Amino acid sequence: MVKKSLFLSLLLSIALTLSAAENPVVEMQLLNTINYTPATEQWSQTMAPAMSLSISSGRSGNVQGEVVLKTPNVNLLTTAPAPAIYDDILHKAYFKARFPSFRLTAGKTRLSWGDGMLFNAGDVLYGSNDTSVTLTQAELRSETGLLVSLNYPLGFFSFAEVTVLPSPDNQIEHMGGGARIYTTVQDTKVEAGYLTSYESERLHKPYISLQGNIGPDWYLSSSVAIPQRGDIGEETLDSLVITGGLYHIQYLKNLSLRLEFLTRPAGNWKAESQSDDDCPLLLYQELVYTPSSSLSWSLRTIISVMDLSLNATLGVNWAVLEGFSLLGFLSSPFGEENDLFSWKGKVPSPYGPTDARIALTLGASWIF
Amino acid sequence: MSKRIIIVLLGLTILFLPVSLFAITAQEIVREMDAQATFETSYATGSIKTVDRFGTKESTFKAWSRGTTDSLIEFTSIAERGQKILRTKGSLYLFYPDAEELIRMQGAALRQSVLGSDLSYEDMTEEKTTLDDYDVTLDGSETVRGRDCHILILTAKTRQVAYPVQKIWVDKETFLTWKGEYATNHGRLLKKMEVLDTLVIDGRTLPKETRIEDAMKSNSATWMMLDTLEVNIPLESNLFTLENLTW
Repeated sequence: MVKKSLFLSLLLSIALTLSAAENPVVEMQLLNTINYTPATEQWSQTMAPAMSLSISSGRSGNVQGEVVLKTPNVNLLTTAPAPAIYDDILHKAYFKARFPSFRLTAGKTRLSWGDGMLFNAGDVLYGSNDTSVTLTQAELRSETGLLVSLNYPLGFFSFAEVTVLPSPDNQIEHMGGGARIYTTVQDTKVEAGYLTSYESERLHKPYISLQGNIGPDWYLSSSVAIPQRGDIGEETLDSLVITGGLYHIQYLKNLSLRLEFLTRPAGNWKAESQSDDDCPLLLYQELVYTPSSSLSWSLRTIISVMDLSLNATLGVNWAVLEGFSLLGFLSSPFGEENDLFSWKGKVPSPYGPTDARIALTLGASWIF
Repeated sequence: MSKRIIIVLLGLTILFLPVSLFAITAQEIVREMDAQATFETSYATGSIKTVDRFGTKESTFKAWSRGTTDSLIEFTSIAERGQKILRTKGSLYLFYPDAEELIRMQGAALRQSVLGSDLSYEDMTEEKTTLDDYDVTLDGSETVRGRDCHILILTAKTRQVAYPVQKIWVDKETFLTWKGEYATNHGRLLKKMEVLDTLVIDGRTLPKETRIEDAMKSNSATWMMLDTLEVNIPLESNLFTLENLTW
């Protein structure tokens, strides 16, 4: 009942705001998936329609805002409480105001701290140190959250940013906040920051992120999560994460490669089955072949080095017409039972561990 | 006898002196070519149309520039709305509003395709400081689209450029680059460019419609068209900054 009224109120708000919107953008996706689950030796089929609606105020003037509504993930609908579903539907709702010397952003949105498409130790706000992603999505990390931030320019290519995060449980002492500085030293981008947040306990997270070019572009980030209490030394060492990568590596015939790594120096360095929390070395590669302007093939693979398991997705995107694309994906984990990516066990996903499956997905997307 | 030789030599010197004095050098051509394409400021609107065997894709944009190195492009078509490219002093920044993500690109990455077209970031935001990055030699003359052109060979002095070797055809009168072939150090053709239509602004001839063909892509070509162009107009001082890019 609560879920139904949530949907109704959202539909009503869409109907009311659409008439006032300057530039509404709708993105629709319909994906049909055929799954085979090796653990149960069962075949299944799902059809998942998805839609996002973006209503923005336009980009002129000194105040702007945007609301983005998305259909919730089907996994959430059956398992999650109403607030979590509402949170998933209301992807973004924020405004920005530009003052003479600084900029204010408030609402539900995303701040991109650090570098890295999949592995980003500098992303202390949302966390980009796990493998719980959907490799069929164009954006691997798109989490948003409520925040207030102030952006203060320190020159043409440098700025400082301060952010305040609301308390996750309405207790004032559990509010969070942080700051970062973004600048360029010679040819290297240098970004350093700090965030304190409450996640069952108070954590302090400093980070540094560097980016430059050695032919291909490169990045290197590192962060730790220091607890307020307890065995600070050991827990800090355990939380140390270093990520890095090379990207924009171009080869003949429109082949481009992106390589990323994540390492936890205090992780479990034994050649045995690994978990997402303390896996010591993960690799990510993305190979994209673009034979024509409208057709691209991609192979995305996450590799857990210590247990030699991997999760791979082969994708094809054919932009047939203006804004309309046909999509195809073939995904499968490869690994022994209890490995991070197991053929017959569970694999990490954004909505918790799910049964390992070989999945063939065909569908289409349309943006208008 | 020796007097006669001296007189002949003097005569020859006088005969050829005007030619050597007034012949334009390759460096002067490039300098004039850059100067003709550079305005104190400019604002343009236009579109990029990419055609391949599967169909046509069109994106629209707004673009601002200042001097020889600063340019900002904002895409206005629905699929790419709000995506921006800022180029300034050798660095290029991309901003993706959906992810609120700021990406910095350098070097060979500038050769990457913009929105899947045959255009690269370098093509769209090229700095007008050619002689800083390239050695240049004159390689004769040829007529292109009925215009008498110098042929120039540009060889990169640094690795931080998108195209190590360029062969360009520059109009002898207007200094417009009518045609270009862009290649690697080993002579492998990367891209071809040809101006199809021109406009005259402030007494200068500029490309209105340009066809670009990526040699790495088969059966594909991109047309870049300008719908409007205003030059030497007042622009906000913070236009070419990260603050404005991420706005």
